[in-house]
Amino acid sequence: MEDMETRDVVVIGGGPAGLAAALGAKRAGADNVLIIERERRLGGILNQCIHDGFGLFLYNETITGPEYAERLVEDVDKEGIRAETGAMVLDLTSDLVLRVNSRSGYRLIRAKSVILAMGCRERTREMIEIPGTRPAGIFTAGAAQNLVNLQNIRIGNETVILGSGDIGLIMARRLTFEGIAVKGVFEIMPWTSGLERNVRQCLMDFWIPLELSTTIVEIKGRDRVESVVVAAVDRGLKPIAGSEREVPCDTLLLSVGLIPENELSKRAGVELSPLTGGAVVDETLMTSVPGIFSCGNVLQIHDVADFASHEGFRAGESAGRFARGEFPAGTKARLWPGPNIRYVLPQLIRPGTADVDLNFRVTRPLRACRVTVRGKSSDKVYFRKKYGRLLPSGLQKIRIRPPLDEDLEIDCHE
Amino acid sequence: MSNRSSLDSLTCVLCPVGCELEVRRTERGLDVQGHQCEKGIGFATEEVLYPKRNLATSVPVKGSETRLVSVRLSDRVPREKIFPILREIAKLRPEPPVRRGQVLIADVLGTGVDVIATRTVD
Repeated sequence: MEDMETRDVVVIGGGPAGLAAALGAKRAGADNVLIIERERRLGGILNQCIHDGFGLFLYNETITGPEYAERLVEDVDKEGIRAETGAMVLDLTSDLVLRVNSRSGYRLIRAKSVILAMGCRERTREMIEIPGTRPAGIFTAGAAQNLVNLQNIRIGNETVILGSGDIGLIMARRLTFEGIAVKGVFEIMPWTSGLERNVRQCLMDFWIPLELSTTIVEIKGRDRVESVVVAAVDRGLKPIAGSEREVPCDTLLLSVGLIPENELSKRAGVELSPLTGGAVVDETLMTSVPGIFSCGNVLQIHDVADFASHEGFRAGESAGRFARGEFPAGTKARLWPGPNIRYVLPQLIRPGTADVDLNFRVTRPLRACRVTVRGKSSDKVYFRKKYGRLLPSGLQKIRIRPPLDEDLEIDCHE
Repeated sequence: MSNRSSLDSLTCVLCPVGCELEVRRTERGLDVQGHQCEKGIGFATEEVLYPKRNLATSVPVKGSETRLVSVRLSDRVPREKIFPILREIAKLRPEPPVRRGQVLIADVLGTGVDVIATRTVD
């Protein structure tokens, strides 16, 4: 163990969160920062997101995913941060030892702090259990995006999209550009899970039908998808008998949710939240394992890459300070989601901390509503704000100014 | 005489907030409600009178079918120009190296807007 390779900060994942985290760590004074990226190219999912709408917050202009990635990578290069691509972390221990399979072979690295930035993966047909045959032509939206945008592969001629996540909406427009018919987007919930602006500019602009409270109950076809059977669902999300309709198509895209990829976090003993699928963190974005931090889609699913990067910078700064031995200890107060709040992040806050940034999502669309953060024991109001409209698709950010020294609950009422 | 006004409901696409805009055509011009920033007014006016969009696609570099350069427009164009411009872009086979921001078609179809590369291919 004496001659083990050592690093101040190791960042696992070189996407929008990981690249920003490395910059944050460096700027917080960590000298020896290493990014480990599984793919051959840095940038993560940004590389296949060739559409525009990135960078509005980070660079103050709207650019595409590849441009955003190249600019972040240039910033990382300028800081002299080392990044290894084509390298995969196989294991991470609670005492911050990483087992890495890299181009130079298998090796161990001991880190003073580790940043989890592994991103997320897509839910599949198996996870939502669509009955029917198992023909070719079924893709997750992100897999289709990779094939179309990076590999120049025509994935089909007539597509149906299940789920209204942002990647599905973006792909509806992308396939339309490629001359592939998109026959409809079917969403089981009574509201879309993607951003409103993508419903507007990716579906409505091209007259692509969007049917809410509708799902696919059967996939048909032997070698290749031949059709899907769609049906309306009731309020319990169960298909309504008699409402079935067959839609001919040769391709089915699934855009039915994203799951934080926390296999390594579990290996290290990091406590996960059942509400976010990501780590339980405090206001510094440190997990339950001292020295391990989390940011980006592995922590919570973001709608916008800029926010994943912003979280990355914060986690990086915290990890950099931790590596230098400057870190506060102490017990933590807890934040609880109340009525109409799906989750709130961070879940833990050190007492006495002021100006805490919170993220939350609502459980359903709410109009003319008020968000309140209250002390659990004192009933003191720490924050209150009115909103015209809040949607489950929009990750919200608020700042609690007064110092905190008790458990809090956040709720939203119309 | 605002009782002769008509109402349009729009979603602003300029940022992820996606404000719900209400645009009323009055005899004095357009009245915009629901915007959370000043950009919303310009967007609503444009969206009602002559909607504009950017577009993104990718094309193979010369001599390869699988090495792609992603491209976009340097600025938004009237929506009806999207498919004609896509047909122009489909003819492109840029020769590497291609730099991010490099103009691949200048003033495409006389729109005053350029087709530019959004990634670097060496």
